[in-house]
Amino acid sequence: MSDADAEAVNARAVAGQDEYSADKLEHLSDRDHVRKRPSMYIGDTGMRGLHHLVFEVVDNSVDEAMAGFATHIWVTINADGSVTVEDNGRGIPVETHPALGISTLEGVMTVLKFGGKFSKGAYYTSGGLHGVGVTVVNFLSEWCVVEVHRGGNVYQQEYERGNPTGPVRRIGGTQRTGTKTTFKPDHEIFQTTDFNYNTLWKRLQELAFLNAGLSIYFRDERTGQSEVFRFEWGVVEFVEYLNRSSGALHKDVLYLSTEAEGVSVELALQYCDDYTENFHSYVNNICTTEGGTHVSGFRAALTRTLNQYGRESGLFKDLVPSGEDFREGMTGVLAVRVPHPQFEGQTKTKLGNGEVEGIISSAVGEFLAKYLEENPKTARVIVQKALLAAEARESARKARMLVRERKGALSGGGLPGKLRDCTSREVDRCELYLVEGDSAGGSAEGGRIREFQAILPLRGKIINAYKAREDKVLQNEEVRSIISAVGAGIGEEWDLSRRRYGKIVIMTDADVDGSHIRTLLLTFFYRQMFELVKAGMVYVAQPPLYRVRRRKEVYYVQTEEEMKNQLLEAGMAEAVFEYGEGRVLQGGELERLCRTLSALDSAIMALERRGIGLREHAARRDSASGRLPVYHVFLGQDEYWFVRREEMEDFLELREAETGKDLVVQADRNGEDAAEPSADEEADDQAGRVHIVELHEVRTINNLLQDLREMGFGLDDLFLVKRPGDEKPRYVFRRGDIEQGLDDLQGLLAAVRAAGEKGLQITRFKGLGEMNAEELRDTTLDPAHRTLVQVTMEDAAAADEMFRVLMGEKVEPRREFIERHALEVQNLDV
Amino acid sequence: MKPSGDEKRERPIRCPICGKLFVPRQSDALPFCSARCRNIDLYRWLREDYSLPLPPRWDEEDELPLDPDADQGD
Repeated sequence: MSDADAEAVNARAVAGQDEYSADKLEHLSDRDHVRKRPSMYIGDTGMRGLHHLVFEVVDNSVDEAMAGFATHIWVTINADGSVTVEDNGRGIPVETHPALGISTLEGVMTVLKFGGKFSKGAYYTSGGLHGVGVTVVNFLSEWCVVEVHRGGNVYQQEYERGNPTGPVRRIGGTQRTGTKTTFKPDHEIFQTTDFNYNTLWKRLQELAFLNAGLSIYFRDERTGQSEVFRFEWGVVEFVEYLNRSSGALHKDVLYLSTEAEGVSVELALQYCDDYTENFHSYVNNICTTEGGTHVSGFRAALTRTLNQYGRESGLFKDLVPSGEDFREGMTGVLAVRVPHPQFEGQTKTKLGNGEVEGIISSAVGEFLAKYLEENPKTARVIVQKALLAAEARESARKARMLVRERKGALSGGGLPGKLRDCTSREVDRCELYLVEGDSAGGSAEGGRIREFQAILPLRGKIINAYKAREDKVLQNEEVRSIISAVGAGIGEEWDLSRRRYGKIVIMTDADVDGSHIRTLLLTFFYRQMFELVKAGMVYVAQPPLYRVRRRKEVYYVQTEEEMKNQLLEAGMAEAVFEYGEGRVLQGGELERLCRTLSALDSAIMALERRGIGLREHAARRDSASGRLPVYHVFLGQDEYWFVRREEMEDFLELREAETGKDLVVQADRNGEDAAEPSADEEADDQAGRVHIVELHEVRTINNLLQDLREMGFGLDDLFLVKRPGDEKPRYVFRRGDIEQGLDDLQGLLAAVRAAGEKGLQITRFKGLGEMNAEELRDTTLDPAHRTLVQVTMEDAAAADEMFRVLMGEKVEPRREFIERHALEVQNLDV
Repeated sequence: MKPSGDEKRERPIRCPICGKLFVPRQSDALPFCSARCRNIDLYRWLREDYSLPLPPRWDEEDELPLDPDADQGD
C-alpha cells in the first residue's frame, strides 16, 4: 500500500465509517503486485530497470547455455523499440503442468516464482536475478510474444500487460529448438522506454566473456548497428580487454579453472603498470560489485601466497607489502558458480555464502603457489610491483611525518649549517656553488665573491656495497642541505618562485669521484627539481686541468686535449725531422705529419680500450691494400676478421649455405665488451650464433694510415723494428739545441711535445683542493674568467639514463660502463 | 598526415621509478609519471638508497694507456 492509500484507510477508520472486516482486505494478483510495485522486482522504473528487463530474458538463455544446451543467443532491438531475445536451447516446455493445470509456458510467463531455477532439476546454477525472471518482464510489457521451438513444433502465446490473449497454440513445424521472446516495455510503467545500445552492448559483452564459447549476436534495427560477441578464452580475454590500454607487466594472463565442493571457480589475473586495482567478481554471471565471501577468499589467498613467495625468495628487505599492495595494478576477473547463492548488501550484489570463502581461498592459494614456483620471472615482477606499492605507502607516510616533525624541514626552514651564504638577496643575481670536498669548499669560500656567491660544500660518502664493491652515495644530510639551501621546497611543496638563487653551479673534480658526484647531483636535480633544470638554472663549472707558468706569466688550460695540442704547436715550431738517408721534414710538412700522428694516437687509444693493441692488429692487415680489419666476427667458438663489409657478408652467407642453418645475428653492441661473450651466451648452444663487432675507430686508423702513406710512411714505421748492424737511430728530431734519436714514428709526438714544454712549468691539478682561493676565483668563480656550462634537459636526462644503468640490476652494463666511461671522465662534455 | 611540430613533445617517456611509459603532458610530476613515483624517488635519496659504483682502485691499472701524458708537466 502506498502512503496515500494507507492515509485514506486511516481516515475512514477514524471517521468510524468503515468496519475492519475480511472483505475489505484485497489480495493483489502476481501481475497486479508487480505492476503496482515494479521497483520491488526490477530496482527502479528508470533506465536501469528498463534494461533490466532485457537482462532477465537474456539470463534465461544464458542459463540454457551454462547448462550446456544453448550455444547461440540473438538479441535485437527492433525498429518499434521492442526487444527480441532468442536462443537455440531446449525451448520452454509447453505441456500442461500437473500442479498448475495450465501450460508450463504459460506458467513461466504468468506465475511468479515458478520456473526451473528453484530446484536442482533444470538448472544447477542459475543467474536469473532472484528468480523473478521473465514473468516480471511480461507483466511490465505493453505486449509480449513467446515462441517456442520444441519437439518439431512451433508454439506461441501472446500477452498484453501480462495477460494471455489466448492459449498456447501450435503455429507450425520446425527442425530446431529454442525460445524466442519479444516484448515491448509498458510506457505506463517506465519513465522511458528507449533502449540504449551501449548499455546492452556492455552487459552482452560481459556475458560473452563470462561464458567462454557462447556466441551472442546483438543488433539494433533502429540504427543498423550490430556486434557479435564470442570469446573462446572467456575470462582470460576479459582481462586482456580490461588491460587493453594499460601496460601489462607480464605477457601471460594467469588462469585458473577448477571445481571444488560443487562450486566452480574461474580466475584470470594480469598485473599492469596502473596504480589501481581493476577487479571484477561474478557469481553465476551476476556482477558482485559489493564483493562477498568469494572475493575475501581470493584476497586472503593472494596475500598469503605472494607474501610467502616473496619471503622465501628473499625479495623482501625492509618492506613487506600489505594485501592492498599486492592488488595494486592487478587486473582480474573472478567468476564463480554457486548452487544456492545468498545475496546480501545494499544492492544485493554481495555474496553471503560462508562456505565459499574457504573453497576459493584454498583453490586459489594452491594454484598461485604452483604458478609462482613455475614462473619465477613473472613472480618476481608481481612481487616487485607490490614492493613499489609498499614503498609508495611508506614514502607518503614519511612525507606527512616530515611536514609535522620540523616545521618545513624540507621546505626552507633553517638554512644548513655548512652553507656559506651570500649577502645579496637579489635572487637572479645570486649563485649557489655546490662544491665537492671540504678542502675545495675551503678554497671556494675564500675565493668567492661574497656578495652574490654562496658555497655549499658536499661530500659524497663511500659505502661498501655488496661484494667488496665500493659505492658513492649522496648522504641524507647532503640531500637535505641542498633542498633547504635552494629554498624552493620539494615534492608537493615545490615552488620555484621561492628559490634563493638564480644559478645553481655544480663544481666537482675532473676525476672519477667527481664525475660520480656530478652524475648524482644532476640526476637529483633532474628528478626532484625538474623545473630548475627546465628553466636553465643549473650549471656545471669547468675548473681548469692545468696551470701553465712561462716566466712570470700564468695561464690555465681546461682540458687534456687542449694541453696536448698547445704543446704540439709549440714543439713543432722551428723543428726539423730527419728520416732515412738525409730526407728532412719541416714547417707545414712536419705539421701535417704531427697532426696525423696525433689523430692516429687518439684512435689507437680507442682501439686499445677494447683490449686490442695496434701491433697485434697490424698483423691482421689485408696484404694487398694494407688496410686493417674493421669487422670482428664471433661465430660459435671461433673468431674472424674482415676489412670490408661485403667480405664479411659473403663469408656468413657461405657458412649458412654450408651448414644449411640460418645464423642468428646478435645485436652489435658497438664494440662494448666485444672480446668475451657473456656467460649466458656461452651456456647456450652457440653454434648458430654470430656476433659482429664493428671497430669504428679502425676506419679512422685506416684513413690516417693512407695519409701517412702519402707522406711516405707505412704502418711498419710506427713500430720498433730490429735493424741488426745499424747503429744510427732510425729518425732524428731536432729543435734548437735538442737532438733526439727515435726508433719509431710513434715516438715523434712525445718528442715534439717534450720540446714544446721547454721553458714552461706545467701543473696538472689533481683536484679542486689543489687550487688556492685566488686561483679558484680567477679560473672558476669569477664571472669574468670562468667557464660555466648550462645543463640542458638533454644533459640532465642523459645523466639520469647513465644513473639508471649504474643503478640497474644488470651487472654487465654496469661493468661496461665503469670500464669505458671512467677512463674518459676527464673530458666529459658536461 | 604530416607530423606536426608538437609531435616531439608527445613522445612518451619512461618513468624512472615504475618504468611506465607515459606522455609528458599527462603528468604534473615530471620526469615521473606521478607524484607518487616522485615521492618514492625522494625517499630513496633520503634513505641513501642511490649509490654509484666506484671503479676498482686504479693503482694496479695505472699502466693502462689511459693517460700516457699525465705526468709530463711535472
